[in-house]
Amino acid sequence: MVEKHSMLSGFKVREAMRRQVLSLPDSKSVGKAISLLIKYKISALLLTDGDGRPSGVVSKTDIMNAYYADFPLDQELRSIAAASPITCTEQDPLEAALEVMRQNRIYRLYVYDQAHTRIVGLLAYPDIVGLLYRLCRSCKRNYLIQKGVREEAEVIRRFTVKEVMTPNVQSNRANDTLYTLMEALSQYRFGAVLIKDHSDNPVGVVSKTDLILAYKHGISPERPAHEIMSSKVHGCEASAYLAEAIQQMIFSDIHRLFVYQDRPENIVGVLSFTDAARVRSGSCRACLTTRIKIEDQGI
Amino acid sequence: MEPIAKNIMVSRFHTISHSATVAEAVRAFKEAGGPGEKRRVFGMMVVDEQGNLIGMLSMYDILLLLRPKHIHIWADMSDIDISGIIDTVCERARSVKVEDIMTTELITVSPDTHLFAILDIMLRKHVRRLPVIDNGKIVGIVYISDLFYFLYDKLAGDGL
Repeated sequence: MVEKHSMLSGFKVREAMRRQVLSLPDSKSVGKAISLLIKYKISALLLTDGDGRPSGVVSKTDIMNAYYADFPLDQELRSIAAASPITCTEQDPLEAALEVMRQNRIYRLYVYDQAHTRIVGLLAYPDIVGLLYRLCRSCKRNYLIQKGVREEAEVIRRFTVKEVMTPNVQSNRANDTLYTLMEALSQYRFGAVLIKDHSDNPVGVVSKTDLILAYKHGISPERPAHEIMSSKVHGCEASAYLAEAIQQMIFSDIHRLFVYQDRPENIVGVLSFTDAARVRSGSCRACLTTRIKIEDQGI
Repeated sequence: MEPIAKNIMVSRFHTISHSATVAEAVRAFKEAGGPGEKRRVFGMMVVDEQGNLIGMLSMYDILLLLRPKHIHIWADMSDIDISGIIDTVCERARSVKVEDIMTTELITVSPDTHLFAILDIMLRKHVRRLPVIDNGKIVGIVYISDLFYFLYDKLAGDGL
């Protein structure tokens, strides 16, 4: 929920959007889309019709659903795409765009030019978080800066992982089928499930990316989770500083960490990169209202 | 000399196996472009066990692999210590298999393809090298720089 007069007031969509928009003709295959999503490390592609006009969006979730529905890999993308892309224009206020995201429960908007003739950008939720972060660090009212806190370490010692993580981790068993995992993920805010063995010990992680790769590799959705899971569970301690967790995610090039208490087997929460970055932005008393929240967003 | 692929291509070409790692591929780039060679190499044809062309690996494919997911956010986080990130990223990339990152949408030309047809493909598809295939076999590779070099004297007006 964005409050009035937040730090984002006055900003236009074009100041936070990214200009590289990957698209594919909607006559291309699901297999082709998977290759592009993996190669560019992105979560969705814009689809275009025969005339090059935007006709839909296909996300990792849509592809996972196609896998679940046993569609062949050469299925045309237009048959699995979500409805037409939700858009805004580059002149729109950023706050209005955020509100559209919130209402539609999505976290990416395709951006039209002012004349509404072509797509010129993509506004993704993490990009807004990035902008907020920059603003916060250069803000004159940032009370830490006002107080003359020069030592950067002082700033980052304000939050621990426990304060920011989401408790209640979705977990599945190592011998659950991929079908079961996909059912769980389609209901879940995060892009991955934790895999546990019979004694409740975490043994791996299966993400949407792992699932669409399994699809691409022709693995039957009836196979068990342990055949495709990453056996490393990237974890961090609940009492760790947020900065340490962010650093770990950057170095491992991952989106999320599983948070444990006392011992690594005792997983108590999950921390996404975007959640971590968001809390570090607009988090001082000068502008608490800026801290943006979009409910039920899986980033 | 006729302006067609076989007169522009390099027939002493290099290939890399699909099962090679990124580290092996980059070592192959370095050797192929080493001392005594006339160009530095930033891409190679990828072949299967029978020597058939199955993909292309370019510098761009490797750079895409290296690009961190959240760089657009954390590039601004000057309070996060990222010293050593280059080593970590490169180390992780070294063991990735060529077949997992190569481009499999192949564009090839035949030995008789006209220079301007090759030029058109290179400009439209943003590629700088095209394999030349004759009867299903690799016979050479055309580089955009060699294509330009082929026109060098004519463009400069020398020898008129």
